[in-house]
Amino acid sequence: MSGSKPDILWAPHHVDRFVVCDSELSLYHIESAVSSELKAGSLRLSEETTATLLSINSDTPYMKCVAWYPKYDPECLLAVGQANGRVVLTSLGQDHNSKSKDLIGKEFVPKHARQCNTLAWNPLDSNWLAAGLDKHRADFSVLIWDISSKYAPETAVAAEKVRLSTGDPEAGLVVTKPLYELGQNDACLSLCWLPRDQKLLLAGMHRNLAIFDLRNTSQKIFVNTKAVQGVTVDPYFHDRVASFYEGQVAIWDLRKFEKPVLTLTEQPKPLTKVAWCPTRTGLLATLTRDSNIIRLYDMQHTPTPIGDETEPTIIERSVQPCENYIASFAWHPTSQNRMVVVTPNRTMSDFTVFERISLAWSPVTSLMWACGRHLYECTEEGKASSLEKDIATKMRLRALSRWFRCQVCLFQLGYMQLSASAVARRTEIKYSEFTQYISSEILFGKVTMYEGDLNLNVVAMALSGYTDEKNSLWREMCSTLRLQLNNPYLCAMFAFLTSESGSYDGVLYENNMAVRDRVAFACKFLNDAQLNRFIEKLTNEMKDAGNLEGILLTGLTKDGVDLMESYVDRTGDVQTASYCMLQGSPSEVLKDERVQYWIENYRNLLDAWRFWHKRAEFDIHRSKLDPSSKPLAQVFVSCNFCGKSISYSCSAIPHQGRGFSQYGVSGSPTKSKVTSCPGCRGSKSDEKVDLSKDKKLAQFNNWFTWCHNCRHGGHAGHMLSWFSFILHVFPFYLLSLSRDHTECPVSACSCKCMQLDTTGNLIPAETVQV
Amino acid sequence: CKFFSLTETPEDYTIIVDEEGFLGDGRGSPCLSDKPLCSPSVSAELPSSEHLSVADATWLALNVVSGGGGFSGSQPIGVTKIAKSVIAPLADQNISVFMLSTYQTDFILVRERDLPFVMHTLAAEFTILRVVNGETVAADDLGITNGFVKPKLVQRPVIHPLSSPSNMFCVTSLDPDTLPTVATLLMDVMFYSNGVKDSVVGNEDSGHIRFFSFSLIEGYISLVMDVQTQQRFPNNLLFTSASGELWKMVRIGGQPLGFDECGIVAQISEPLAAADIPAYYISTFKFDHALVPEENINGVVNALQVSQAEKH
Repeated sequence: MSGSKPDILWAPHHVDRFVVCDSELSLYHIESAVSSELKAGSLRLSEETTATLLSINSDTPYMKCVAWYPKYDPECLLAVGQANGRVVLTSLGQDHNSKSKDLIGKEFVPKHARQCNTLAWNPLDSNWLAAGLDKHRADFSVLIWDISSKYAPETAVAAEKVRLSTGDPEAGLVVTKPLYELGQNDACLSLCWLPRDQKLLLAGMHRNLAIFDLRNTSQKIFVNTKAVQGVTVDPYFHDRVASFYEGQVAIWDLRKFEKPVLTLTEQPKPLTKVAWCPTRTGLLATLTRDSNIIRLYDMQHTPTPIGDETEPTIIERSVQPCENYIASFAWHPTSQNRMVVVTPNRTMSDFTVFERISLAWSPVTSLMWACGRHLYECTEEGKASSLEKDIATKMRLRALSRWFRCQVCLFQLGYMQLSASAVARRTEIKYSEFTQYISSEILFGKVTMYEGDLNLNVVAMALSGYTDEKNSLWREMCSTLRLQLNNPYLCAMFAFLTSESGSYDGVLYENNMAVRDRVAFACKFLNDAQLNRFIEKLTNEMKDAGNLEGILLTGLTKDGVDLMESYVDRTGDVQTASYCMLQGSPSEVLKDERVQYWIENYRNLLDAWRFWHKRAEFDIHRSKLDPSSKPLAQVFVSCNFCGKSISYSCSAIPHQGRGFSQYGVSGSPTKSKVTSCPGCRGSKSDEKVDLSKDKKLAQFNNWFTWCHNCRHGGHAGHMLSWFSFILHVFPFYLLSLSRDHTECPVSACSCKCMQLDTTGNLIPAETVQV
Repeated sequence: CKFFSLTETPEDYTIIVDEEGFLGDGRGSPCLSDKPLCSPSVSAELPSSEHLSVADATWLALNVVSGGGGFSGSQPIGVTKIAKSVIAPLADQNISVFMLSTYQTDFILVRERDLPFVMHTLAAEFTILRVVNGETVAADDLGITNGFVKPKLVQRPVIHPLSSPSNMFCVTSLDPDTLPTVATLLMDVMFYSNGVKDSVVGNEDSGHIRFFSFSLIEGYISLVMDVQTQQRFPNNLLFTSASGELWKMVRIGGQPLGFDECGIVAQISEPLAAADIPAYYISTFKFDHALVPEENINGVVNALQVSQAEKH
């Protein structure tokens, strides 16, 4: 600092003042520039702000570091660390009657002179000032001074030996006895108090970072590292600390202090300053030598320490506050993301780091974006029609209702109709019925669907003029006027009536007509070759257009998937796609990765909407139609004895050890007999009921008892009834009516449980009440 | 060049410099810090190499860092502090050492070829750290285990003759930023002070000695000079202790000590450690120099002479 490179500091309590220090201290007052003209003597810092020099203090030569008194003080009390290790309290105020007057000019002198590298005021006890000094072979490098302490008791003794401070006129203000001395025979390069406790001090020593606990100064926690410069605690996350070495910043977690949780990408030039933003969480600003940019690291999204291997994501940005190289910068203590920078030739610039804008869609239709501390929400205005058009809204509503069932039924119905018509066409069965269907559907039924302002009487009148004659005026008029009809069926009808025989393009390519009607018409009026050509053409058309009606032609086949693909591309409706394709019974359709993709996306969508139940229902529905999608069992019942699973579902998986079918799992009446572990029941051990608690029958009946031999068991009441011939309700062996129960109730277990228990035989049957 | 030390004695100038500094710019290997080469000269004319006599081996500087704790609160400083833990064990293993105390710390130079033995010897007392890619890690598996016998505890009487010059010394440092302002003065003091010296020469018999040491090691400056020389420096420029302590010297050796004899430092430092007397210790090409507080000088000389007498 002494020499070329100025530093800059904001006053902690005067939000409009800052100090620039190089060989002297200059206090500036910053104000908003009301007019575009500069007042005399003020400097422009930005478009909105100017600075005025208030005072200069050049009392302290050989300045190495400066720290601003953290308590509110009208006089701008500063501690200055000097090249010879002395720490001087000085002020930039003009008022010499302030309460801190007796502090000004106080000097704190280490036993052995060497450079003072860093100063740190205790944030909790503002009388404590820690100074970090260079190495001396015998002296301590971290000295904690109490600024309120009276002059050292040894002053009288020291004075006779003090040969250096003879020229000091204020010898009375010299304090030589620090409150604490730490770090013997070591150098301290940076210091920072930990906000967790008043007595915890983090120091960057010569080759390690050390945490000194002043409650027990003989102990310290330390970690060997080179990154010992500029230690600084994240003001929002008190366990997170940054330090640097040359071009590299290390981020530490004090709870896991063995190694840095993170090292930031190395800069080509050595770093000169690293500072957490005091007004925004997780924003670290770094400055390198001879650079005109400040690099910002946003650790916003890593609030917790990360495990050993994973590196948290960090967003790296850089800002360029001015054209020149930056000598130093300082965050504003309260104004959000604001900083001042100073260049080596002492031009300054006031600057606010613009916050990144982040944007997020909600799973429903609202949109949010955030900038700084502002959060904006954008919801679509309640135009019902436009909302309904949105496919996401549609899918949500459908998911809530039972839409899919109906829809799927419709598809199935339609497809069946079509197949039926095709079959009918080929086999000439029920030809008349289909003719009737077509005529009624086309000519009358469907017409009514489109009935609007159209007067059907007029249509009837027009129809009545029909003649067979080819070149009649009626034909001519109808063929031109029909195009003006809104109703596609009427339009097609007139096209049919006016067309040349054998040429039905007006009907077949009337795109507004339902596909099934067009196909039905084709079946009736086209010959086989024409029909095949038409169907093929129509199918391709449907596929390209992603028209769901085309499913009637393709079926839920590979072609159907292609068609659905264009439909999904066009609409984004994965819901329809998922449900339709689940119906496709050929498994190759379900195996198609597009289909799986749609299904997974639909499930994710339901999850995003928090429709957990709907998603579960869908999964159940899916597993019924696609057994391969059944999830593996996640809960098992295991045998206490052998540790193997006794779950039924395991038997379905053949590679799960020995098959369980031998135990009658597959739906036979003996299924209920599997009351013992299938894995270890072969170990024919004997059964014994613990009957020693028979006095308390009421509760005892519900006790779970088991044979110490074979470890089979059940409710004590039930076990007693089993062995005492009174068979009430026996929950796991209803089929057995045998009276001779000397053996274990578990099938194939021949353990004579009761006989093993000598007292068991003495229990009178009457005492057993279930 | 990260390690440079120049010590002027009446007999010669001793220069300790690392390989980079010794070999010169460009030709040298990349800066090998902590790897100084002991290169004393018999002449003041540095550039003429025929006057330069160079100790045969490359030396490595060891530096005890109190990072591991254990030294808190102990008042004896300097060589005394490490006498028991470093110097004595090395002497026991017959490892020759070369001491250089500075304002900031003590360096113990050992021959590079002795390093495995040194490591093994010190592993009992210290956690040995190794710098790998800029980070210090614990060095384990030192590789040498055989050939070591637990040394017997032996008395180490002072072998070489002692002398104690009458001038008082101070050990100081200064801010590297202010070095340019005193550069000419330093040059004058180191090389061109014969005029001053002459006035002292007359008193040489009364015990005054020319001794000046300057070292610049990893950016830290250390100066050892007598009070008369110190007065030539501007006020408040030199770093000194607040109490202004002064030191007196004990010179060890009547004949040049050479580099192979072991235990010299231990002979001196152990009695000092026993008496809790802080000390600096500076080895030069021919002799060794210990600095002890002025008020302790008589006691020290007596104690050492007693030790010397035990020999006979």
